[in-house]
Amino acid sequence: MSRAAHPDAMSPAEPGRTRTAPPQKPASWPSHPRMRVYTLFGWTGVLYLLIGFGLLETAWSLGQGEVVWDAKLASFSHPAYVAFHLLCLVSVVFVAVRFFRLFPKSQPARIGPAKPPPRPVILAGLYAVWLGVTALFVAILSGAIFS
Amino acid sequence: MSLGTKKFVITRFDPDRDTEPRTEEYEIPVQSDWKVLDAINFIKDEIDGSLSYRWSCRMAVCGSCGMMVNGEPKLTCKTALSSYGDSLTIEPLANFPTIRDLVVEMDGFMDKFQKVKPWIIQAKERAVEEGPQHQSPEDLQAFKQFSMCINCMLCYSACPVVATDPEFLGPAAIALGHRYNMDSRDEGADERNAVFRGEGTIFSCSYANECSEVCPKNVDPAGAVNQAKFNAVVDWASSFVVKREKE
Amino acid sequence: MTDVCRHDVIIVGGGAAGLRAAIAAVEADPEISVALVSKVYPMRSHTVSAEGGAAAVARDEDSLEMHGYDTVKGSDFLGDQNVIEYFVEEAPKELTRLEHWGCPWSRNEDGSVATRAFGGMTTKRTWYATDKVGFHMLHTLFQHSMRFDRIVRYDEHFVTRLLVDDGNVRGVSALDIRSGEVRAILGRSVILATGGAGKIFPFTTNGMIKTGDGMALAAAAGVPLKDMEFVQYHPTGLPGTGILITEASRGEGGLLKNSEGDRFLVTYDYGVGKKAELGPRDMISRAVVQEIEAGRGISGPYGEFVHLDLTHIGREKLEARLPFVLELARTYAGVDPLTEPIPIRPVVHYMMGGVDTDIDGATSLPGLYAAGETACASLNGANRLGSNSLTECLVFGARAAQHAVLYSRGSSEGNESALLAQAEAEAARVSALRRHKKGSEKISTIRRELNTTMEEGCGVYREQASMLATVQTVASLQDRASDLRVSDDSMVFNTEVIAALEMKNMVDVAQAVSVSAAARLESRGAHTCRDFSSRDDENFMHHTLCYLEAGGPRLDKKSVHLGHWEPEERKY
Repeated sequence: MSRAAHPDAMSPAEPGRTRTAPPQKPASWPSHPRMRVYTLFGWTGVLYLLIGFGLLETAWSLGQGEVVWDAKLASFSHPAYVAFHLLCLVSVVFVAVRFFRLFPKSQPARIGPAKPPPRPVILAGLYAVWLGVTALFVAILSGAIFS
Repeated sequence: MSLGTKKFVITRFDPDRDTEPRTEEYEIPVQSDWKVLDAINFIKDEIDGSLSYRWSCRMAVCGSCGMMVNGEPKLTCKTALSSYGDSLTIEPLANFPTIRDLVVEMDGFMDKFQKVKPWIIQAKERAVEEGPQHQSPEDLQAFKQFSMCINCMLCYSACPVVATDPEFLGPAAIALGHRYNMDSRDEGADERNAVFRGEGTIFSCSYANECSEVCPKNVDPAGAVNQAKFNAVVDWASSFVVKREKE
Repeated sequence: MTDVCRHDVIIVGGGAAGLRAAIAAVEADPEISVALVSKVYPMRSHTVSAEGGAAAVARDEDSLEMHGYDTVKGSDFLGDQNVIEYFVEEAPKELTRLEHWGCPWSRNEDGSVATRAFGGMTTKRTWYATDKVGFHMLHTLFQHSMRFDRIVRYDEHFVTRLLVDDGNVRGVSALDIRSGEVRAILGRSVILATGGAGKIFPFTTNGMIKTGDGMALAAAAGVPLKDMEFVQYHPTGLPGTGILITEASRGEGGLLKNSEGDRFLVTYDYGVGKKAELGPRDMISRAVVQEIEAGRGISGPYGEFVHLDLTHIGREKLEARLPFVLELARTYAGVDPLTEPIPIRPVVHYMMGGVDTDIDGATSLPGLYAAGETACASLNGANRLGSNSLTECLVFGARAAQHAVLYSRGSSEGNESALLAQAEAEAARVSALRRHKKGSEKISTIRRELNTTMEEGCGVYREQASMLATVQTVASLQDRASDLRVSDDSMVFNTEVIAALEMKNMVDVAQAVSVSAAARLESRGAHTCRDFSSRDDENFMHHTLCYLEAGGPRLDKKSVHLGHWEPEERKY
């Protein structure tokens, strides 16, 4: 048997009339491809936590004067910093693709008389919005527009 | 047609004698068209009559025979033996306490089931003389898929949240509550959504989608749970706008 | 030692009839307490596997008179006409109630309930829920029953005996499968709704739990079993597993073909005339057997079979109306009905016979009622029309409950110490069985031998010689079943003890079937005897009663309640 699940998993409101063996997690979870993807999906949260701290730190640097700010800007081209952000980019793409794949099934079958569009249309729409917003940000930040 | 022999490593547990579950091995001749359940029945009939497990219809509609086969939750009457190699591991359904051998305690599931009020709620009970209510084929399709659940509980064994959060209602119970919410004849969505948002903690669902992967009846409980989340939020938001009678 | 639980109405069996009875009982009386005792969780009851539909007059083109006549004729005029008249009138109300409770009946475009054609019915009156009607009805009933706190469920409790005191039934002794303890559940009336006993036969649509427990309980308490010789063979079951392929597949246009690809029901005269595939089940089963005997069957690993051809119906209609049939054929027969015919053969499906009751579900034992397949009121006489039995469960489950409630109000409590003594005796009996490792008979051997002899003696076509041989064999199996080996001596969830108790029930029920069959010297409905190939209204227009007594089975007769439908030759 593999690791235990929560000892109260699926326990009844009242104790049973006989002794039971504790609930077990499936033995296949650590090695199962789908569960590995799911676990990885959960762990990407750590990356976002780090980004959050990074943003806070950057925002704080903005208020510390020009010297500190210039040093901050220079640090952005450090290889480790770039590598970290590339990792975050991979993670965001991974999360987005997984989320988009599962998104159509969370649509209700109907809202009043309206039905959701077919799955390919929903997916096309999600990717279009995502890529469009990305393109807009890149354009603004690179100075192609509003400069 | 004979398929040679296969080895079955089966969990045994007698609470009066065993401190914890153990395994026993059986090697038996198997046929090519057997399901896993046929092999287990053979073992009980011919080799070890003390092996305890649940089964009944053998046609994948009663939901009794769910077990872990090589670590995956399966409906053993529907799972072909020929898709496995020389050795199979048979365990009781994961995430449930075990009563005996392959028999799990279902009382927790039955409790959760009842919490979602799985019946038609109407303000005024209809009289038989009024005849059947009208329901268009589209209205029927809106919930039909979620009414196909055979309560086999494979989804509970697959769900990582069920394993870790005892309060979580779980895929089948939420899908059943959602089935009634989507039924055009029902007027009890408020009550069920209150359960969903409250003690049912449906927002614990982290969208692993494992429940739908293992469901033998294509009920898509993951879809039901996530639609239910959406509806529960809309219901909560609209309660500030639309006055509602106290339930 | 014995736990005591007190209620008013005790219902044994949690299928359609049992659940409907429980709901009807609490609705009839706001004060009473109902015990629902089932050896499985109710959603596992065998009602769940019914596929085709439930019949009730629904359309203007139909009438109660027509439904009644079809049922009487289908029963080969052995059905009690007062029961049939009540049934057809209540049927639409019961199915409407189920609709109100949420049953997802399939619909017409205009939102009204859809109906389909079914065997032996002159017009469309079978309400359906795609092709999983039993599943939807059972789940609707079970979920609706959860509203009522006064229905107390005893899940996974196996009733071993009716507790009788002073000539009245006053409770049951029930083995709590989980803990192994025997409980005395005391009440003022008992309703048996445990289904049929298809597992006494080798090829059956029935699941593992259909072992005739309620029939055996009643017989052990001195109540006669009625018309046990009438066993329905459903024409279209899968070879080997016996899994049901619903009659609705023929209702939606499926055709039966022999090895030559010929629609044999049309080519040869099997008495079904123009109805062909929509003829009554007994005639179609006989036709299939005759085709196979004539050498026009197809051979397979599980014997000979014929083909059910759905390939011309079209993907859209099949996926909309018969999705479960598609799944079953692909999973269990390895064929895709869209492109290949499905192998089928007649398999045991339903028992027209059962515990002798009147129109109210009351038996000869005061306080004891029965409903559903367990009972024989008799609605179905010598042959049942498809889609009548699900409605039967609802109509008579409700009626039996209403009368059980009335009875409960009027009855007194029995002598509790006498009842508890009986329960203690049952606990001792179960305990002895549990420790019986030295038994000389293996349960699976008795089961196999029982199945073999029942198939030989009580098949679709029967002969006096083999029926009498089966009577003898079953009697010897009853003896041998008193020494069953139980290797599992555990208290907790001991399924081998349950199997042994069920085996004893099965041999008793099988005795009633074989003895009754050997005594009916005619052919009527599903009982076809080669030695007496025609119907004999003069001598055999009666119900067979079979009492299972200590000294052996005793037969008696009960008259058929005739009405305005005169018996006539049964031609389609």
